[in-house]
Amino acid sequence: MMRFSTLLKHPADWMTGAGADSAVVLTSRIRLARNVTGAPFPGWARKDERCAILSSLRGKVEALPDMKNAFSQELSALSSVQKQVLVERHLISREQAARGEGSATIVNRNQTLSVMINEEDHLRLQSIRSGLHLREAYALLANLDTELEKKLPYAFDHELGYLTACPTNLGTGLRASAMLHLPGLVISDHISQVIQAVSKLGLAVRGIFGEGTESLGHLFQISNQSTLGESESEIIERLERVIKKVRDHERNARLKLIEDDPQMVADKIARAYGLLKYAYVIDSKEALTHLSLIRLGSDMGCFPKETIQLCDTLLMDIEPAHLQHQAGRKLTPEERDTNRAEIIRDRLQSLQRPDISFIN
Amino acid sequence: MQCDLCESKATIFFTQIIDGVTKKLNLCETCAAEQGVTDPEEFLLDSLDMPLDETTPVEITQDIQPASVTASDESACCTDCGFSFDDLKKIGRLGCSTCYTFFREEIKHNLAGMHKGSNHVGRVPEGMLEAFQKRQQLEALETEMAQAIEVEDYEKASALRDEINQLEDADPKTP
Repeated sequence: MMRFSTLLKHPADWMTGAGADSAVVLTSRIRLARNVTGAPFPGWARKDERCAILSSLRGKVEALPDMKNAFSQELSALSSVQKQVLVERHLISREQAARGEGSATIVNRNQTLSVMINEEDHLRLQSIRSGLHLREAYALLANLDTELEKKLPYAFDHELGYLTACPTNLGTGLRASAMLHLPGLVISDHISQVIQAVSKLGLAVRGIFGEGTESLGHLFQISNQSTLGESESEIIERLERVIKKVRDHERNARLKLIEDDPQMVADKIARAYGLLKYAYVIDSKEALTHLSLIRLGSDMGCFPKETIQLCDTLLMDIEPAHLQHQAGRKLTPEERDTNRAEIIRDRLQSLQRPDISFIN
Repeated sequence: MQCDLCESKATIFFTQIIDGVTKKLNLCETCAAEQGVTDPEEFLLDSLDMPLDETTPVEITQDIQPASVTASDESACCTDCGFSFDDLKKIGRLGCSTCYTFFREEIKHNLAGMHKGSNHVGRVPEGMLEAFQKRQQLEALETEMAQAIEVEDYEKASALRDEINQLEDADPKTP
């Protein structure tokens, strides 16, 4: 069984596998909600019932070929910092982090697949890929689902599909989402139009950590809302089409910014570089905003291409729980701001000053 | 569902929130009366003595007044998990998969605003695929038959009727 420290020692596959197309779409994620018959849903079950469900499911998930040597832990055995680290890595949800006894998480070695037991549903299967690869992410998950359905009596209804604790997940139980970096649309003030247009199509646009969070670092998540009445591939294809449109809008916005006001763009990127490289105290919001501009600058050719991956790894490492995990103890907000600045200075040490080639 | 205190059938489902902690209890009428569930002023889940094991003897007393105020009517609750439709309005989640059988119409009524459609399309668990396809086939045949009757093509309708009967008898195991 993998230890927590081993899990965290290596960045997730989807964090480092940055391809050419991850300049706008960072990650693609699919999750499936599944329940078994004859047992109350986790939110309604008594503690003893919940523990019984967990013990009946856990072994079967751990025995999956895809979950060989996986990290598997009950939520009650994790510290609050450890839980938060998993949330920051998108491996468990906030909702699950709030749970204690009778809930567990199982994560495969390269952190591409995770299974939450007794979150809102008995099972939440999740797969993450870098870039825009929703179909690949779904294919991985469909495998896992096929293996599990051989061993478990899934709650399924011929009219309502997979039965879930919340009626909003009925049908396929599938939520597909992608994380997008949209500084061009934010800076050019077109983001609210895009959000409105996407919302009208019945898709949700949210800040980086999903429901109820503001957008940080110009990062947005787009996901489907409807799960009933459309097949898995229809849902995914529809979402993918919209994401590609938004990606094109973002690319155009970036080009237009350079064309219309290159001085302003250069100023933003160069200031962000200076600030991050020389700051001694920096809060999360400020760091994310400026890292976003470094990321934008990398796409515009101001920094070497691999700076994008550097930014993406940093985005996660400067989150509060990651900082505390790294320090090995709880940190006050002030201490976190100091540690955050130090880590950023260290990582950006060898990054040369921006080459602003778009101004002649 | 079994009573939490004895082996009788639970018909009274009690939820209490104390300092933000939700406690749930399923009781039969006997135990409910003994614990004073009918008097909300007196009853706290914390003060309830839970039996150490299932064999704890329980005295059966006669002439119990049916619980009122805090008890839910059995007919409005899911028999598998004791969830009532009022709970759905409160917490927005269901109690178990059987709840969908109990509150089917009420839930279906609310689906239109959430989803693209009201019928599942897509993946079906392997073991249920055959039954799922059969059901869809039957529905298609029934629609066709209704259309045939409408245009008074009774010959076709009767042929379809035979086909439906044959399909229904083909595999006795139902979903």
